[in-house]
Amino acid sequence: MVENARSLNLVASAVLFLGMLYILGPLYLTLTTSTQSYEFMLRNGLVWYPGDQFFTNVIRIFSETRIPQQMANSLVVAVGDALVTCVLSFISAYALVFFPVRWGSVVFASILATIMLPLDIRVITTYQVASNVLSPINALLDIIGLNGLIAGVFGAPVVLEWSVLNTHFGLIAPLVAHGTGTFLFRQFFLVLPKDLVKAARMDGAGPIRFLFDILLPLSRPSFAALFVLTFLGGWTQYLWPLVASSTPNMQTAVVGLARLAPDMEGVMPDFPLIMAGAVVVSIIPLVMIAVLQRYLVRGLVLSEK
Amino acid sequence: MNAIDTSIDSAIRAAASAIVLENVSKSYDGTTQVIPPLDAELRAGEFTVVLGPSGCGKSTLMQMIAGLERVSGGTISFGARKVQDLEPKERGCAMVFQNYALYPHMSVFENIAYSLKVAGMPKPERVERVEAVAKMLGLSDLLARKPGQLSGGQRQRVAIGRAIVREPGVLLFDEPLSNLDAQLRHDMRMELAELHRRIGATTVFVTHDQVEAMTLADRILILNKGRIEQFDTPKAIYHKPASVFVAKFIGAPPMNIVPVTGDGKVLRLADGQVLVECPVFGDYQLGIRPEDILVGEGPIKAGLRYREDLGSHAILAADLGGNLLRIATPFGADIGTEANLSLTFPPLRLHLFDAETGRAIPGAFSAQ
Repeated sequence: MVENARSLNLVASAVLFLGMLYILGPLYLTLTTSTQSYEFMLRNGLVWYPGDQFFTNVIRIFSETRIPQQMANSLVVAVGDALVTCVLSFISAYALVFFPVRWGSVVFASILATIMLPLDIRVITTYQVASNVLSPINALLDIIGLNGLIAGVFGAPVVLEWSVLNTHFGLIAPLVAHGTGTFLFRQFFLVLPKDLVKAARMDGAGPIRFLFDILLPLSRPSFAALFVLTFLGGWTQYLWPLVASSTPNMQTAVVGLARLAPDMEGVMPDFPLIMAGAVVVSIIPLVMIAVLQRYLVRGLVLSEK
Repeated sequence: MNAIDTSIDSAIRAAASAIVLENVSKSYDGTTQVIPPLDAELRAGEFTVVLGPSGCGKSTLMQMIAGLERVSGGTISFGARKVQDLEPKERGCAMVFQNYALYPHMSVFENIAYSLKVAGMPKPERVERVEAVAKMLGLSDLLARKPGQLSGGQRQRVAIGRAIVREPGVLLFDEPLSNLDAQLRHDMRMELAELHRRIGATTVFVTHDQVEAMTLADRILILNKGRIEQFDTPKAIYHKPASVFVAKFIGAPPMNIVPVTGDGKVLRLADGQVLVECPVFGDYQLGIRPEDILVGEGPIKAGLRYREDLGSHAILAADLGGNLLRIATPFGADIGTEANLSLTFPPLRLHLFDAETGRAIPGAFSAQ
């Protein structure tokens, strides 16, 4: 704190308190609602005190909904997303920092540009590609005129088709290419002593040994931080799983939660059930943060130096 | 000293090889040469200090010897082997870095053993070697610690241990003492000198610190803009500097250099004052070390500007015909507060340099 005036302290505390209220109020309402029965809610609306139906609601989540299976989907997507992002980011940052890459800064800038183009912006084009991964090749064949030639000779143009929609791979792949991780690792690599590479070379370690023996162990905090961040991102991802999965058994938990509310007009959604589902779905990311939070902080702090 | 110690000592002594640089040059962009073609021979088992101001190419030179930088031209030989195209690990040399460059996540033991592990040495042998080295360097109790838990001096010793455990014939030091405080630097200097006496590796030590160079070196290679100014013993470098650059670089305070003109009989300053007899014609630079100037009776007149008493001696700053002249006198020399000093330049202590090239003109005064 720059100044230590009492009044300033009071104001700061008040602002913090308001912020907490803003975040925790709805959360609290989620918790209390999840403990009421549907009938109770229909009679009394949302209330601020807890009831006794929490476990009944949780059991209904597991027995009557597809949330458990969808949580498994979420787990596959989140872990897959986190792992692949970590590996890709680590390797690309390694190449950018430790090797004299021609146009290295241009490459890095274009990687960074992906931060400014999140999936939400390019969802339609991404959907197009996911619905036929080979469509760019088709387009290329059209453009260079090869397809016209083929159509002339064989009677029909080549149209390749491979859809990854409604698969785990299709859910994960568009999420993994993201510049944040590369940036995080790059910054971390840049603050490492330059002589470390030279020392490893003098000791006879080639690029691969250096990667596994020196760089990987040193990067553990950055790995953990990036893993947690991407895991959370993958777990709470809504838009892409919504468009990319067409059957309930491929949907992720967050999408499944939203689907618990009926589409019909005039029907009151079963909010206690939905809220209980929200609580259940939040448990895994909460545990994740609790276990890895010290790495999270260390990894992010290291990268800022 | 036990049996294992001796075996490491003798293994390194046996591996020590001469380093011969022939026409070695370095250029990063193909047009500007960091190091113009350079020849030098570092004898086997010798402690060579490469000394020069920052940016003179001394680190580049060392990295080319180590194999971390490729040479742009010329050859480097270790003994009979041409090594300029080999990877560092194939050259049989090891290096100690300025900021130690220890692996922070490995224990002292793992740090020292890493090169042996990479080389595929079996574990029992590795343990034996590391323990012998640790004993030699007084690290036996610290083997389980991480570098972060060590003091600067201990880290330095681990870095040295990591270098000598492979029994390299050539040991390279890249300004290894510059991160230590003054006292520790002094102690480490002593330790390094002792270590070198013991293991006898051909050692190349890069520094910009003339004290380190004077105290440690068998021979000093003075580098200026990538060129060798002088390559000789510390004594010769001090007493017979080959150029104005060397004369000014070595000694604290550095040698006084004044421009003079010879008329065939005497050397004069620009204002006409006669400094010394010397049968030469033309423009020269005259050098004399501060401690070689005699104060008191003498034909040369200079104005006192400032004096510093340093306890063991005093440094006087005087004005000699517009040139700054530094004089070191024994402490308490009775010069009072005189504004005008009478000085003598003993001819045998004078150095004459060419006015344009700055190279020394040997025998200019000894002939008399």
